[in-house]
Amino acid sequence: MGQHKEVFYPLPPVLYQLLINVLFSIVFFFSDNQIRFVKSALWYHGYDRPELYRLPSDGSAGSRELLLAFSWLLHRLSLLEQLLARNRVKTGDETSVSPEYGLEDGVDVRYLQWLNGRLRFQWRSLHAQHQELCKLLHKIHLFTSGSHMDQILGHFSVTETDLVRQPENYKQLLQLLESETMQLEAFLEWKQLEPVYWQWMVMNQTDFGRCSFLDSNIADHFQRPLPTKISSKRDILCCFLAGELFYRNLPYFFFFPLFFLFSLQVKTGGEELQKEGFSATARKIQESVELKLLDLTYLCAPKKNKMHGSCRLVFRSKHPASKTGFGSATEVIRELQMREASLERELKQLREECRQRLDEIAEGLDGVICISP
Amino acid sequence: MSIVTVQLGQCGNQIGHEVFNAICSDVHGTHGLCSKKENESYHDACKERFFCEEESEVPIARAVLVDMEPKVISQTLSMAARSGYWKYDDRSRFCQKQGSGNNWANGYSVHGPRHKEVIMNLVQKEAEKCDRLGGFFTIMSMAGGTGSGLGAFVTQCLRDAFPTSFILNHVIWPYGTGEVIVQNYNSVLTLSHLYQSSDALLVHENDVIHKICAQLMNIKQISFRDVNQVIAHQLGSVFQPTYTAEGGLHYSRNPLGSFRDPSLYTSWLNPRDAFNAWKTPRAFNKYEKSASLVSNSQFLLKPLDNVVGKAWNMFASKAYIHQYTKFGIEEEDFLDSFTALEQVISSYTILC
Repeated sequence: MGQHKEVFYPLPPVLYQLLINVLFSIVFFFSDNQIRFVKSALWYHGYDRPELYRLPSDGSAGSRELLLAFSWLLHRLSLLEQLLARNRVKTGDETSVSPEYGLEDGVDVRYLQWLNGRLRFQWRSLHAQHQELCKLLHKIHLFTSGSHMDQILGHFSVTETDLVRQPENYKQLLQLLESETMQLEAFLEWKQLEPVYWQWMVMNQTDFGRCSFLDSNIADHFQRPLPTKISSKRDILCCFLAGELFYRNLPYFFFFPLFFLFSLQVKTGGEELQKEGFSATARKIQESVELKLLDLTYLCAPKKNKMHGSCRLVFRSKHPASKTGFGSATEVIRELQMREASLERELKQLREECRQRLDEIAEGLDGVICISP
Repeated sequence: MSIVTVQLGQCGNQIGHEVFNAICSDVHGTHGLCSKKENESYHDACKERFFCEEESEVPIARAVLVDMEPKVISQTLSMAARSGYWKYDDRSRFCQKQGSGNNWANGYSVHGPRHKEVIMNLVQKEAEKCDRLGGFFTIMSMAGGTGSGLGAFVTQCLRDAFPTSFILNHVIWPYGTGEVIVQNYNSVLTLSHLYQSSDALLVHENDVIHKICAQLMNIKQISFRDVNQVIAHQLGSVFQPTYTAEGGLHYSRNPLGSFRDPSLYTSWLNPRDAFNAWKTPRAFNKYEKSASLVSNSQFLLKPLDNVVGKAWNMFASKAYIHQYTKFGIEEEDFLDSFTALEQVISSYTILC
């Protein structure tokens, strides 16, 4: 085992429970044996690390493997984003987009022909229903335009229109919105701490053995400098309490990452502080490289416009109706980060230019020394 | 969900009028033999399906009337308006003064392209009035020139303009000993073209209906009106709103969703898939109990074979072909039509 041991892992039952909560919300089959359920669900999702499947069925051991499996799910399935999207309050204006799929092979050719005709008819009925939905949505949007507080959007959604007709439902909607807000806040909190989580997983990699996905994550999650607020015990406590609060209203796993950080802090006695031994210059270099990289990737990245899944229809007066997909939370965060990076770069550039101009002016003046900040 | 009807030619317009009449009188009749609530929801479903109730006092049929002669259309419009229960939209009509002379090529190659835009505009207007367009129902006869030729052309245009809509063609099969000498040519050309654009062909044979009038209804002097009314009654009962297959409490908005003997069905399709039943407690047109059966079977194999055979014999001696070639329908087009129909015949022959 490694040097800095006594890394505290939560007990297997806790982890199994966590995995069950996580998996059960995505997969819908049941098994008598909970452990077997977790294993088969992981297999279903393509988790192929044999050590996990060799774990004893009495739940006596396996913290590390389970933790690894959980991290894998977190990374692989964009777990939290999926759950956020699922728990979003519906506007009622949603419709779904999907690419076309071809037919598969069958048996008797006459049966195929019949099936083809039937399928075609079903698809056409669906199409007609969709058209009707769009027409009616258009009516709602048209009639309510100009009434919304939001100047840019301008019209009501189906949910809002329904609320006008049945005001007594406002309490329910309010509750849903509040719960959604809390989830988003917890998610943002998690996003701040996420690099620490992955770093911790990577650090303890010797316990897990080689894991390719942990390596790839270093690149993804090291882009942000470590949040300095994790250095104090008091902050950890606050995180934990916040986590507790959220836990009451939210799925278990939003709480988990904060929990592990707390336990980490307690057991390893401030080891985290030592890990922030980056020298100041190294950090500066890293920061500037990161900024340049982000900027570059932003400029070079092709526009990925693969629309698939649920999206909200919004009324625009110029063209009849256009689709605005409100992207996942991670995408929004990343976009904002990129924008921040490019703005910072621009700022630096402007500062440079300023400095140069000042130097030029200073050269022209005798007896004046310019000290740049 | 709504259906837009396109009435084509003399036959199409007369039958169309009878169909709307039958539906409307059924809706307004008090012989529903069911509860008031039941009646009301039936009423609503029917109204949405066939009529448009905008600002006017009477419901307006969702229909476009097309003919190359003005007489039948004006008669149809005025008869409907006189009923007081419903009417057509006066603007939803298109007619000319020339007629088609029972020449399929005239209808298809001349009148069709010439008047395509105007006719499709009318159809588009009707389609836009519908909140949910279920599809199109065209009525035509196969034997004449307008209904058949222009009808085939219009069906093609409908398919091009509404690729995802359901198109049902109601086709009148002419009397075996009909008056139009080239009716078999017209029939063959109509069927082969409709096959490409239509989703379903619903056929009524004049001979069969005639028998119904004579033997079942004991009518002495059978007029076209009698025949048309029988057809209209059958169509009306087929289009009558019914419950969805699960037996729900409200009428299915979709018209087109326990005969279990396997010998009735083909080997490659089980009865569960092949047979669908729709029920309703509300009686149609004063019949206490009625059932309508629509089947896709080998029933039409014989008549079809008959018509194709006769047409082929005529074609072999090149009789009357010049009437068609002068309007742009060449011998190759005839051959293509024959080939297409032979394929249909063979598919139906090996159905079981």
